[in-house]
Amino acid sequence: MIDTIFLWIAAGLTLAIFSFLYKDNPFYKVAEHIYVGSAASFWFLYLWFFDVEPKILGPFKEVFHAYGFWGMWAHFGATQWILFIPIFLSICMLLRFIPPVAWLSRWAIAFTVGMAAGLGITGALQGYIVPQTQATLLPVWSGDLLTSFNNIIIIVATLTTLVYFFFSREHKGIIGGFAKIGITFIMIAFGASFGYTVMARISLLIGRIHFLIFEWLGSLF
Amino acid sequence: MKKEVPLAITFISGFLLIVALFIPHEPFGSLQERFNDWYIIVSGFTLILGVDSLILYHWRKIKRKEKEAPYSIILISTFVIVLAWGIYSGVKYGNPFAPASSFLRYFYTYMFVPLQATMFSLLAFFIASAAYRAFRARGLNATLLLISAGIVMLGRVPKGEEAAPYFIGITLILLAIVSVLEGVSRVEVYEKIIFFGLAVVSIIAIFPAAWFLKFNLPRLADWVMNVPQLGAKRGLFIGIWLGAIAMAIRIILGIERTYLK
Repeated sequence: MIDTIFLWIAAGLTLAIFSFLYKDNPFYKVAEHIYVGSAASFWFLYLWFFDVEPKILGPFKEVFHAYGFWGMWAHFGATQWILFIPIFLSICMLLRFIPPVAWLSRWAIAFTVGMAAGLGITGALQGYIVPQTQATLLPVWSGDLLTSFNNIIIIVATLTTLVYFFFSREHKGIIGGFAKIGITFIMIAFGASFGYTVMARISLLIGRIHFLIFEWLGSLF
Repeated sequence: MKKEVPLAITFISGFLLIVALFIPHEPFGSLQERFNDWYIIVSGFTLILGVDSLILYHWRKIKRKEKEAPYSIILISTFVIVLAWGIYSGVKYGNPFAPASSFLRYFYTYMFVPLQATMFSLLAFFIASAAYRAFRARGLNATLLLISAGIVMLGRVPKGEEAAPYFIGITLILLAIVSVLEGVSRVEVYEKIIFFGLAVVSIIAIFPAAWFLKFNLPRLADWVMNVPQLGAKRGLFIGIWLGAIAMAIRIILGIERTYLK
């Protein structure tokens, strides 16, 4: 019975959102506000149960259960004490709500920005630039005509695309020629990515229509 | 104090992570993993700021009795109900995302997934109308965009091979028309020869291309994705990441300070 009620709720919400294709209307607005409200709660709960609870509260739980609130302080190890740094920074982030000490939230922002910058450098080098450069160092002649042709296309596409985004010199002469080849490859890549995105959206649309026809209407007949 | 301490925190946290990459021994060895956890925790708290801002915005709308206030009531009520449901499931099952939890079974399956999937599937219609404007074959680059998108879309659907010959036929006719128009508008003789030649080649290529696509379309779509698309995307992303590194160095050294405003 509960499943049937929720099936109808799901169908109603799906149809309410599709009603936007006609024009903006109260049904769509209700569904949209339900989505925003529920998504905010969902991600709040997700943050608590997957980040805060296991990463902050988890290490304190065992000691708390063994020695109680007053006894646990004497039994904290390095794992527990070091966690006071992110706890302090997280509290700093929330101090934005108290105007006289709102400036302390900058400390937390500075930490996240510094972390993002550090991770950006190491992550970009380790995870992208070095492996992708290695993958582009392909043999121009591999013994097979088609593979060699593909390798040349990949090398030329990568290099000319990089040249297209090289703005330290005016795009004239050889650089201009390479940049023109680069934009050609970029257009092919954008077209292919667009096609790929369209197919992903269409598959979502097919999924929703399949739900309406086979799961919702199918449950009626 | 208000600027120096944040700058020092940024420098230390960013610099230590780079040091950890080059010295994979204690105390630096586990630093990256530990900092990553802290980063997730601290940046996660920004969500609380976002939720507060959302709720306050709608609360003000209700207080002012604005025209859209009933929708704000729905939003805040949904937020409270879902949060209460999640907490109840968390207490009862240990985690609201546990497989047996009613929160996961009913809210996630019958509300969150349909709302999210339908919202994103709406984009299929808007993408189609955007494509109509972007894909008009106004020049060589727009034509290439059209052709590669067409190949990928048709190559990844069942029965795409059957539609492909008609698609390529129309595309090549369009290419021929564009080439003729370009050729007419050019002044140099060699440019006229190139564009008129392209028009002739496009017309001659219609039947061989249609025949080729009828039997090779999925392979061609894979080739577009794995060769020219891959090469160009690689170039794009290497450029993006080089830019990101330059920006990260500016932030760590305190040259870029906009985040402190």
